[in-house]
Amino acid sequence: MDFSVVARNLPYLVAAFALTLTTAALVIAGGTVTGVLLGLARGAGASAVRGAAMLYIGFIRGTPLLVVLFVVYFALPPLIGHRFTAYEAAVIGFIAFIAAYIAEDVRSGILSVPRGQIEAGLASGLSRGQALRLVVLPQAIRRMIPALFNQFVRLLKFTSVASVIGVTELTGATLAVNAREFQPLPLLAFLALAYFAACYALSLVGRWLNRRYAIMS
Amino acid sequence: MTWSTTRSRWVPALALLFLGLLGALAPVRADDALEAIKARHKLIAGVKNDTPPFGYIDDKNEVVGFDVDIVREIAKALEVDLELVKVTSPTRIPLLVSGNIDLSAASMTHTREREGAIDFSITYYTGAQSLLVPAESSIKGLDDLSGKTVAVQQGTTLEKTLAKAAPEAKIQSFRDYTTAWLALRQGRADAFTGSYDVLRGFAREAPGFQIVGGKFSLEPFGIGVRHGDWQLRNVVNAVLQDLWTSGRYREIYLKWFQVEPDVPIETWPKG
Amino acid sequence: MSYSFDWGVLWRYREALLGGFALTLALSIVSLMGALGVGMLAGAAAESERRWARVIAAAYVEIARNVPLLVHLYVWYLGLTTLKLPAFWCGVLGLSLYSGAYVAEIVRSGLQAVPAGQRAAGLASGLSPRQVLRHIVYPQALRIVAPSLAGLFSQLIKDSSLASVISVAELTFVAGAIEGDTFRTFEAYIGITVLYLVAVTAISQLTLRTLRSRIVEPAMRY
Repeated sequence: MDFSVVARNLPYLVAAFALTLTTAALVIAGGTVTGVLLGLARGAGASAVRGAAMLYIGFIRGTPLLVVLFVVYFALPPLIGHRFTAYEAAVIGFIAFIAAYIAEDVRSGILSVPRGQIEAGLASGLSRGQALRLVVLPQAIRRMIPALFNQFVRLLKFTSVASVIGVTELTGATLAVNAREFQPLPLLAFLALAYFAACYALSLVGRWLNRRYAIMS
Repeated sequence: MTWSTTRSRWVPALALLFLGLLGALAPVRADDALEAIKARHKLIAGVKNDTPPFGYIDDKNEVVGFDVDIVREIAKALEVDLELVKVTSPTRIPLLVSGNIDLSAASMTHTREREGAIDFSITYYTGAQSLLVPAESSIKGLDDLSGKTVAVQQGTTLEKTLAKAAPEAKIQSFRDYTTAWLALRQGRADAFTGSYDVLRGFAREAPGFQIVGGKFSLEPFGIGVRHGDWQLRNVVNAVLQDLWTSGRYREIYLKWFQVEPDVPIETWPKG
Repeated sequence: MSYSFDWGVLWRYREALLGGFALTLALSIVSLMGALGVGMLAGAAAESERRWARVIAAAYVEIARNVPLLVHLYVWYLGLTTLKLPAFWCGVLGLSLYSGAYVAEIVRSGLQAVPAGQRAAGLASGLSPRQVLRHIVYPQALRIVAPSLAGLFSQLIKDSSLASVISVAELTFVAGAIEGDTFRTFEAYIGITVLYLVAVTAISQLTLRTLRSRIVEPAMRY
């Protein structure tokens, strides 16, 4: 296999890879924050908030990611009168999408904290809100590390779908080079390798964090 | 994981209700495009990234092409910056209508049907449809297409024209020119139909392909703007005409097509 | 800019939409069978006594899971062009091998979750190791993982939308075609969103109920 086509276009491909990684970092951060908030809303006592959260989560979880991106990029602008660049649409779409999944993980994480912890917290004089913030949430997050990193690796893989709406991340860039040079094998090998390295590294980080911080029950 | 589902079966019904309400919403009216362009000091132009020589990615990995040079001239005349947004044949009109781009210079044929959705500038290029086949192919023209697979772009006049011109052909449509061209190169399709100069652009990239079938159907290209953006359209028309009279159009044409322009751009007197 | 909705476009293109929907289902079902086949093989191999089987299974799972599905699809469609597989089968291969890795992990954790005593008891009763696997370990493992597998089919229906990128004429591709013809972006994409929602919800309800009645409840009778 002749990898010269990769070598020739390396600056372009590496820049696109950098975009993939920064986008992933951005949506991981944004998605986690949104997901945690959504997960808390999902468990909220007040039924309007909880109902809206449930509706949103159910809606997103039944929709393919590609369709969410298409809706945000193509279908939303005429409705809200504001255009998104392809990149903005991708970031918004990814965050909106993953939040629904992280929310469910948050909910199970919170539910998995033993009831005794909350009761002990309340008995020590903490308010419900304080008990949630100081006792439950830290433990829940530690229990959720494997599930969360699962979602993070998923997100890193999802960034490839942004190529379909025209974002020049790694997959889009590789395909553009292939369209001109028509050397799919070395280019696709490079593409697969790059993602494998990034995703595997991320999952190793997750495994390390889990070993260090997991709660042994 | 427990046995209870977190998705209740009412979600689809509620979602439908929500969407129905959304559908009844009065959509927002946007500003006049020319005002918006001047206000943000930037022209957002939709161009192709996969259609040589109109809009494509060169070996320096930059977007270049005939349409790209034309919109650069428009931005220069308006004294604003230029942002290029990638469009494909199926998305060039939806992105315009939805407000994602101000104008669409994307190897787009001016048809009466499309006038129902958008407004067009004057014709700035006249092309014709043709066929691209491998050099050893037995296909020499439209009559040889019966039973053969022809790759074509979704959302183009080419699809309908070919269906009429060669009803026995098996038409396979693709999301963009690149995948259609790849289908021909891979041998998944026996022929590829497109605009003559576009096919020439592809044939230049890869030896072993030739253009057959002559030129059938007329394809006058226009730059698209939204309904009601008459001011932007006037500016575009003025720029196109000035390019013609100053000779700059001929320069750009020669650069990308290597032949003299054969169809003049209509010009109107100023006063 | 004015944009008036024309939901009638969905009705006018109903044949195309139904065709796309049918292909989505076909793609998902065939890929499901592929994924289950590959995944069960890999999952069992991961728990095998033989080291080479475990290594190959682990390598397959890591590679398949750490490469995006879109890249999987492109590898079959663009990369292995010498095979010149029709787009549908490229879609099936990509989806099966990608999801198969998830099935393998599910199967592996299911096999691990069966209490060791079960295996020991089976061997003590005079069953051969293979019989123990077939009649005692696998059925229990299946019951343990059944809920996770139910989610797989819904996930495949959603993942199948990526096949539109390699020109399989499933639902998302049809929406693109409708958009290209009529310029009714909003209606086309919201229309298929609803269709996907309906499909996914119906499938997951159906699968869970079948699994509950066929596997969980009979097991709980003991």
